Amino acid sequence: MRFGFSHLILLLLFPLISFPGCEQPQVEFVFAKKTKELMPEAAGPVKAALVKQFGNPFALTQFEGLPTNFGDVQATVKTVEASGADQPLIRFQATGLADSYDKLQGLPLEWTSGKGQGHISRIKEYNFETGTIAVEKSAEIDPQPGDTFLVECVRLQFGRDLYNRHCMHCHGMSGEGTGPTSRYLNPPPRDFRLGIYKYTSTKSTSKAQEADLGRTVKEGIAGTYMPSFKLLTEDEVSAIVNYVIWLSIRGETEKKLDDELFLDYSKEVFAERTSEEGGETREEVLEELKDFMEEDFPDTLEFSTSSVSEAWEEANLEDAVVIPKTARVPDTAESRERGRKLYLSEKTKCASCHGPQGRGNGTATQDFWTNPATNEKYPNRGLHDIWGNQLPPRDLHRGIYRGGRRPIDTYRRLFAGIKGTPMPAFGGSLSDAELWDLVNYVMNLPYEGNR
Amino acid sequence: MSVLNPSPTGLQPILKPQAHHAPGNFITKYIFSTDHKIIAIQFLFTTLLMMIVGGALALAVRWQLAFPWESMPIVGPWLFAPEGGQISPEFYTMLFTMHATVMIFLVIIPILAGTFGNFLIPLMIGADDMAFPKLNMLSYWFMWPAIACFGLSFTFAGGPAAGWTSYPILADLEQAAPGSGTAQTFWLLGVTFVGFSSMMGSINYMTTIINMRAPGMTFFRLPMTIWGLFITAILQAFALPVLTAGGFMQVTDRLLGTCFFYPSGLVINNAAPTVGGGQALLWQHLFWFYSHPAVYIMLLPVMGMVSDMLSCMCRKPLFGYKPMVISMSAIASLGFIVWGHHMYTSGMNPAVGMAFMVATMMIALPSAVKTFNWTATIWGGKVQFNTVTLNCIAFLSMFIVGGLSGIFMAAVPVDVYFHDTYFIVAHFHYVLFGATLFGVFAAIQFWFPKMFGRMMNEKLGKTHFVLTFIGANGTFFPMHFLGMQGMPRRYADPYLHGYLEHLLPMNQFMTICAFVMGAAQILLFINIFYSMFWGPKAGRNPWNATTLEWAAPSPPPHGNFDFVPMVYHGPNEYAVVNGDKDFLMQTEKECQPAKSQSETETTA
Amino acid sequence: MGKGWCLFFLFWPVAAVVSCAMAPWIGWSFPYDNAQAASNLGIRIDGLFYLILIITAIVFIGTQAALVYALWRGANNRKERADCVHGNHNLELIWSIIPGVILLFLAIYQMNIWADFRIKKYFPEAAVKAPIAEITARQFEWRFRYPAIGKILQQKPQPDDLYSVNELHVPFGKPVMIQLRSDDVQHSFFMPALRIKQDALPGLQIPVWFEANKPGTYDLVCAELCGWGHYKMKAHVIVQSEDEYQNYLKTLTEQQFYDGLGKIAATENNSENGSESEATEK
Repeated sequence: MRFGFSHLILLLLFPLISFPGCEQPQVEFVFAKKTKELMPEAAGPVKAALVKQFGNPFALTQFEGLPTNFGDVQATVKTVEASGADQPLIRFQATGLADSYDKLQGLPLEWTSGKGQGHISRIKEYNFETGTIAVEKSAEIDPQPGDTFLVECVRLQFGRDLYNRHCMHCHGMSGEGTGPTSRYLNPPPRDFRLGIYKYTSTKSTSKAQEADLGRTVKEGIAGTYMPSFKLLTEDEVSAIVNYVIWLSIRGETEKKLDDELFLDYSKEVFAERTSEEGGETREEVLEELKDFMEEDFPDTLEFSTSSVSEAWEEANLEDAVVIPKTARVPDTAESRERGRKLYLSEKTKCASCHGPQGRGNGTATQDFWTNPATNEKYPNRGLHDIWGNQLPPRDLHRGIYRGGRRPIDTYRRLFAGIKGTPMPAFGGSLSDAELWDLVNYVMNLPYEGNR
Repeated sequence: MSVLNPSPTGLQPILKPQAHHAPGNFITKYIFSTDHKIIAIQFLFTTLLMMIVGGALALAVRWQLAFPWESMPIVGPWLFAPEGGQISPEFYTMLFTMHATVMIFLVIIPILAGTFGNFLIPLMIGADDMAFPKLNMLSYWFMWPAIACFGLSFTFAGGPAAGWTSYPILADLEQAAPGSGTAQTFWLLGVTFVGFSSMMGSINYMTTIINMRAPGMTFFRLPMTIWGLFITAILQAFALPVLTAGGFMQVTDRLLGTCFFYPSGLVINNAAPTVGGGQALLWQHLFWFYSHPAVYIMLLPVMGMVSDMLSCMCRKPLFGYKPMVISMSAIASLGFIVWGHHMYTSGMNPAVGMAFMVATMMIALPSAVKTFNWTATIWGGKVQFNTVTLNCIAFLSMFIVGGLSGIFMAAVPVDVYFHDTYFIVAHFHYVLFGATLFGVFAAIQFWFPKMFGRMMNEKLGKTHFVLTFIGANGTFFPMHFLGMQGMPRRYADPYLHGYLEHLLPMNQFMTICAFVMGAAQILLFINIFYSMFWGPKAGRNPWNATTLEWAAPSPPPHGNFDFVPMVYHGPNEYAVVNGDKDFLMQTEKECQPAKSQSETETTA
Repeated sequence: MGKGWCLFFLFWPVAAVVSCAMAPWIGWSFPYDNAQAASNLGIRIDGLFYLILIITAIVFIGTQAALVYALWRGANNRKERADCVHGNHNLELIWSIIPGVILLFLAIYQMNIWADFRIKKYFPEAAVKAPIAEITARQFEWRFRYPAIGKILQQKPQPDDLYSVNELHVPFGKPVMIQLRSDDVQHSFFMPALRIKQDALPGLQIPVWFEANKPGTYDLVCAELCGWGHYKMKAHVIVQSEDEYQNYLKTLTEQQFYDGLGKIAATENNSENGSESEATEK
């Protein structure tokens, strides 16, 4: 049995056999826990609506009316490649895309003239060098040289690619904060889907400004695993922020829809209603749900999206920002002493959480607190944030300021509180001078022994 | 280990191994064997299996560098489906950590000391078996707890991720990195088990070589292979306790709350601040005190084996036997005082760096002498271009690159730039892959007939060699350029940095070469398994070599020799004048006068 | 057959030499456009590198050529048997002593550079007296602490210290010293353009000095494995003129003590009125 040449060739082909493992898995945005708890007949339309409006990570979708910069690009068909009847794709060269982002695969393409006007195709393949686009063949479209079209979500896709490269392994594909690395981090990465961000310059009821999020991305959050991404350009940061806000809007829309349906159509309620005490039959509930879906659901959806969008738009207005009325009180010993008294007073109750010495060990950290969302006690002692994570009050001596170390940052933390946490807003109850005294006191704590 | 016989030539006393009987059934013969040849074969197959694992990990690393964040074949859809196949950075740190661990502790060290040490030492010195056959068996079986520990460490929080150097504080504190919890503890345990295994081996080898040489086998008649293994065993025995102690200190830091390696006041991942008075630098000293000699542990046996193979394949005595032995000893002894060159930038007192630099420069000298001697051995020989020779020449050719790039690293100011960049990755891959593994490929091909009684396939062997050689140079040579560009090691995504962005095409080229190289190893496996059963039968001395093992039957029976070997010459008596053949075995007193026709089938 | 193999073994050293010779022209050499170090010390280090490169290149070409020639002769050997040579004492002496001398020369030759570079006694005095910043490496970013304008860096943080992250500004044309420390695990301060690398050890403060000789923006990366985000530790070092540097410190002061209204209350020693810094915030 000699080893012939043909055997050799067969052997060399062996590695090729392992190539089928190379396909990229298809990914979908994940749905909230609450959506999964809805009865399937109610969850279905919610999921369908979300997919329709927002698409999936690798097939983004444009939805008008969001305060998001989708970044449409106008282009024209130059030449169309002849393709056989059996080929599933049509390829054509386009002009006008040379200055835009070089990865357009998966984006929607809206025809603005020609036969397929108004029709939307998906870009299946895109070659930046040659400007060749491939879309699926269909009866509605027939690209001819000179036809114009709009590539949608280009900016969003740019943001998504940056997000996936830099942020996704912690914050997760859908901004749900459960990327593979998130398991090992303390504090855990932010879940964007509630649309709540801690370190903002806005009033306590407002959302974050784009500039706030950009600042967090650029400066990082000291004392956590959120690093500074100053290495990114201004343009890249704004693209990431744009995408993150879009993820937030998607999450909030879902939450609003869930809240609407949860009281009547969650799996639990459904079981209750169809039980003996509830006395309804399965058909009755389904009938009622069907009516709701037909009559009210479109409006609910409309309202959810628009209210979320409005909130984000309002946050970016001038008057959402907290601006002190008076300048900072000079940082003198007297001012700090006034601040100390305020800190310990009943009026602010700072010491109950942050401790009398500001070591973050106030009495509140020893209590069991109630979860405002479920009205149940947390299993652990101490304060919790709205995401359900345990949250120790800051040790004010460490000199680490997560939201920035400018006096104005500390002022804003005091004025508007920290959103999503038990840190209250003192904007109404304290005067500007009092707030500045507190700022002076708190910001001096790390240096007490160093002067 | 009892009977003390006066040697027939009056040169040596000899010892007999502990009495043990020829194995009876399958289990004692092939599994719990005390026969050094079976243990060697067990080591061979275990390390080859581990080479597949280590190689797969390396290819995964290369994939990420060439196609950053793109779905990795098999791994992506399997482990990272929710992320679209994009791996996570801590998975990448695990990949290169475990690649190094597996390749160093489970492939190179065991294949040299375990496989070739075990197989060749008794045969080449003319002994029946090792001095301590049961210890020998235990040394093999301690590999498996190590493999189990390393395997288990994969399963905890993504696997150890502090590099194979396991630098504290990253490896020392659980909160410092995802894999620094239980995974790291298992990793340390695994290293300890490997250490036990090597330690038992090296004690055995030293005892055997010192006490059990055949009559007439003086130290300066030992083949270079035995010298290499002997010096390795000494290095191992002296350096390893330090690593074991260091590893133990790290384990107590982790489990018992001592603080050898971390200072006070570190807040990592918002855990409670550390309280301690240790210093991370201590670990580096302990670790490199072992791991620098370990580099020579991974090289010296190969140097020895290549000396013997090269001299046989050129049909010429080894050029400068004594200088070769002396330079080997010089490498070993200098090897103990150069560990600091891994730490030029570590914050160690810079003045100490100067002393280490002089020692490091000087250690290049014996390596250079060896290279010149090998070249001189080839000079004027009758070179037979078979797979063994080709792999030996590849060893030499790549060892030169690895050695020369070492000079850059020895020069402190230049090393400051190259430290922890891809330049150093290129350097040690040229030494460990280029030199050691090519030497191992040659040695497998060379001693295969003695192990299994059959020859390996030349055509497959040469194809494997060509593909591996091209693949290895294509993969590792461009790494020098990456290092020049300042690309640091252990980066999951170097292209994040503006000055490294343009290196992507080069990395893709390297990855393609690496895949070619990886695929070529399939040929090696095919060759081994095919030849084991269907290769042409080999006689006692298929290569016309001179050392003692070729006087025994192939494969040698239990007890090795069917006669009492007596040694009359040095190990590489080729090109003898006036003989009927061009070589003189160590067992032959003098050559037959040249006759009309050859009667070479007269061995023993 | 044998000659073919000789050519095979000739091919790759030739490829290696050619690619090395091409390297400076196709951008495979030191980083940045002109591949020249941005500091005088860096240029000296490069000089040492090129010296070693020339020596090793000669040795590489020599040994590989000798190897291939020996193989070529071996493949063509028409004699019945190889030469029976066991060694040559004089040759051994020659090829031990010559490389030995070269290596010893290299070892001694570079000591001066190393001493200037790292031994504290030889640090430039001006730089030692006033370290410009404390650099704290942490997982996974670089944080910088400058002393307030006109003050000297203190061991402990001061209320008027200036902070920044991932962006270090230094003046060029004069030696500067930084204090390097680490908050958590080991990191390494690596500035490829200046050929500087120094590990940051937790629990220690390590002084590092350098002198950039031309303005520009350089990369600062981490070169010691520090966890999953090792590759993310990217910062910029902006080397600028003394004036620009002072201006930067002023802007930093304004930004850091910004109270939302553009007035600076905390820096008594800085009489400059905060110019409209609302812009810097947005």
